[in-house]
Amino acid sequence: MQKPLGDFIYALREHGLPVSPAESLDAMQAVRLIGIEHPLQLRSALGMTLAKTQEHLIVLETLFQQFFQLNDHTHLTSQNERADETNLAEAQEPHEPQAQAQESQPSDAATDPQSNDSTGAVVASPLGQQLMDNEQAALSVAIAAAGAQSGAQTMQAVTQQSQVTYRIMRKLGNEPLNQELLALSEDPEQNTRFIELKRRQQQLQQQAREYVEQQYLLFTLPKGKQLRTQNLQRVKLTNVDHHYQAQMGQLIQQAAKKLASLHSRRRKVSKRGLLDVRRTIAANAAFDGLLFHTKWKATRIERPKVLVLCDVSGSVSRVARFLLLFLHSLQDVLPKVRSFVFASDMGEVTELFERLTVEEALAEIMDRWANRPTDYGCALEDFKRLALNDIDPKTTVIMLGDARNNQSDGRSDIWQQVYQRSQRVLWLNPEGRFSWDSGDSIISEYAPYCSKVEPCNSLNDINRILNNLLKHG
Amino acid sequence: MIIRHADKIKSPQRIQQSFETLGYICSDAIATAVYLACQLQKPILIEGPPGVGKTELAKKTAEYLNAELIRMQCYEGLDEAKALYEWKYGKQLLYTQLLKDQLGDVMRGAKGLDESVSRLHQFGDIFYSEEFLETRPLLQALKSDEGAILLIDEIDKADQEFEAFLLEMLSEYQVSIPEIGTIKAKSKPIVMLTSNNTRELGDALKRRCLHLYIPFPDPHLEQKIISSQVPELKADLREQLVNFVAELRELSLKKTPAVSETIDWARALLLLNVEELDRDFVANTLNLLLKFQEDIEQVTPELHQLLSDSKSSLRRAKKS
Repeated sequence: MQKPLGDFIYALREHGLPVSPAESLDAMQAVRLIGIEHPLQLRSALGMTLAKTQEHLIVLETLFQQFFQLNDHTHLTSQNERADETNLAEAQEPHEPQAQAQESQPSDAATDPQSNDSTGAVVASPLGQQLMDNEQAALSVAIAAAGAQSGAQTMQAVTQQSQVTYRIMRKLGNEPLNQELLALSEDPEQNTRFIELKRRQQQLQQQAREYVEQQYLLFTLPKGKQLRTQNLQRVKLTNVDHHYQAQMGQLIQQAAKKLASLHSRRRKVSKRGLLDVRRTIAANAAFDGLLFHTKWKATRIERPKVLVLCDVSGSVSRVARFLLLFLHSLQDVLPKVRSFVFASDMGEVTELFERLTVEEALAEIMDRWANRPTDYGCALEDFKRLALNDIDPKTTVIMLGDARNNQSDGRSDIWQQVYQRSQRVLWLNPEGRFSWDSGDSIISEYAPYCSKVEPCNSLNDINRILNNLLKHG
Repeated sequence: MIIRHADKIKSPQRIQQSFETLGYICSDAIATAVYLACQLQKPILIEGPPGVGKTELAKKTAEYLNAELIRMQCYEGLDEAKALYEWKYGKQLLYTQLLKDQLGDVMRGAKGLDESVSRLHQFGDIFYSEEFLETRPLLQALKSDEGAILLIDEIDKADQEFEAFLLEMLSEYQVSIPEIGTIKAKSKPIVMLTSNNTRELGDALKRRCLHLYIPFPDPHLEQKIISSQVPELKADLREQLVNFVAELRELSLKKTPAVSETIDWARALLLLNVEELDRDFVANTLNLLLKFQEDIEQVTPELHQLLSDSKSSLRRAKKS
C-alpha cells in the first residue's frame, strides 16, 4: 500500500495541499489500522489525516475518486496488489525474452491441427494469454507498472499522452501479440479467435489510454495551475485577463486573510486597569508579602484602525475592482476598517460591504459612484464631513488612486489636516512612477502630506505594503 | 486507556453501534475519527457549524469509555495560569508566616552567612512543590490515572499564543513546569478540540491533529437522530419536519438551523400535539428554529412554498 499512498500524497501536493511528512506517516498508520476493505472508511481516514481544511477535504475527495477509481471494482482490488507493483514490473521484464523465444511457436501451433482444441496453446504470447484469460486485475497492475516506467507521471503537456500510451502498450508486450494476430489473420479457420483477440487488444489499448489521461489529470494539470498562480501574483493588475479574474479574487482573499491573521493579534500589557491581586501577591512573595511590584489585569489587543479611500473613476476602473476586492476581504478580517469610495462624490461603503457579498457590493458601488469625472477636491470635502473627526493619532489612512483631477482644485489643505491628525497616511498609486505628474495628475500636491507614496499595481505590491502597515500599526 | 478498552474500540463499526445505543447517531466519518484517535493516540480537531454535536461527541465518548470528562472552555485572554496550573499563593504566604519561627530554629548555631544559606538549601523548594500546586484542566487530564477525555472547547476563541502553548501538550502529552520539571501523562488522555472557525487555526496545531469536519447531517441521518432523541414523534411527521428543515438550510440565512434546533422543534411538535405541519403552526413556532428576526422575516412569506415543497418531496420519497 505504501507506493500508491505515496503517489496519492504526491498528487495531493500537486493540487496544492500542504501535506507534511509527519502527516503522511499518520496517514500510513491510519490506513494500516483501517484496512482497505471499506473505500468510504479509507477515504474518511485519509481525509482526517491529510486534509486540514474543508476546501482541502473536497479536493482530497475528488482526487480519491479519480485516483482509486471507485466506480470500477477490478481496479480497486488491483490497488491492493499495486503494493508489489515494482516487484511485478521486475518480474515482467524477464518474461519478455521468453516471449520472443515463443514468438516462433505460434505459427507452428496454428498449423498444427491437434492443438486447435486447447485455447492455451493457440494464443501463445503472454499478453494474448492474459487477454484471453481476462485477468483484469493483473492487467491493470501491469499497466500501472508500465506507466510508471514510461513516465506517465512526469508528462509536461497534453500532447504527450499518445506517446506514453504507445510506450505502455509496448512494455506490456504488444508487439509479439501483433505478430501473432498477423499469423492468426492469415488462417481462415482461426477467424473467430482472431476477432475476439483483436477486440480485447483494442479494449486494453483503451484502458491504457484512460490510465494515461487520468495520470495527466492527477499529476500534470495542477502544475500548470501552480505556474499560473505564481505569475498572477506578479502580473500588473491592469493586465490581468478577464478570464483569470475569478482566480485572482481567490488569491486576494487568501492574501488578506493571511495578512490579518498574522498581525491582528498583538497584545500589550498596560499600566492601567484593574489591579490583579493574585498575580501581585505572587510577584511579591519574595518581598515578605509587601506589595512591591504591581501587576495589572488589563491587556489590550492592538488592532490598527484603518480608513481606506478608493478611487473608482474611469481612469483607474480596471484596478479599482481589485482594490475593492482587497478592501472587502480586509474588512472581513480586520474589525476596524472603514471604507470609502469616490469619483466625484464620496460615500462610505463599510456597511455595504458588511451586508452584501463581494460581487453584489462591487456591482452596487460601480453603479452608484463610478462613471463620473474624477474630482478629488469635492471628494475630500465629503471626506472631511464624513470622517475627519474620527481620525485620531492611532488611525492609518490609505488612499488608492491616481490623483488625476481633471485640472480642478485638489484641496490638498484637507489632505494636510488628515495627515496632521492621523498616525500616518499612505498613498497607493496604480500608475508607475514615470507617469506621476504627467497630464492632469497632481500627485506631487498631495505627496508632502503623505507618510509614503508608493506605486501599487500587482498583488505582490499590495501584500508588501499592507504587510508593512500592519507590522508597524 | 487503549489496553483497558481494547474490545470497545476494536473497529469503527463497533463504536458506531455502541454510540447509537447511547443515543448519539453518528456517521461513518465520525466513528472512524474516534477509532483512529483512540488507536493512534492523536487529538481530534472537530470543526463544523454550531449545533451539530461537536461537544456532544466528547461527552458520549467519555460516557462510552467510562472515563472522566475534563472540559476546558477557551476564551480570549485564557492563559497558562487558568489552563494548566497555578501556585496556591495564599497558602504559600500563610505558610511562610507560620514557619517564620521555625526558620529561627533552623538557623540557630549557623556560623556565617555561607553556612546559613547552605542550611537553607537543604530544605529544597518546599513552597514550590506539588502540595502547593493548583491543577487546572490540562494538568488534571495528564495526571488522571485511568486516562481522561479532555475537551478543549472552542479553541478558536483563545489567542494564538495559547494555541502555541498547547503544542507540546498535544504531541508529547507532557508539560513543563519550570519549578518542578516535566510532567508526563500517566495514561494518555483522548483530546478533542472543537472549533467554530471564527479564525484560522495555525498549521502547526492542525498538523498534530486528526481533522474531522461534521457537516449538517443528510435527511436520512437526521431522521435517525430525531427518532432516537424524540422517539414518540410519528414517522410521517418526522419525515416532513426533517424535509422542511433541509429546505430551510438551502436558503441564505444568517444562522441556519442546526440539529439541536431540529430536536427542540420536534419536542415542541410533540408537546403541542401537532398532527401535521401547517402554515399557522410553523409561523408561530418558527422562533425555535431561527434565531434572528431578519431570518424569520425572510422565511415567513415563503412558508407556503417551503411547506408544499417538503410535502412533495415526501410523496416522491414514498413513491420510490
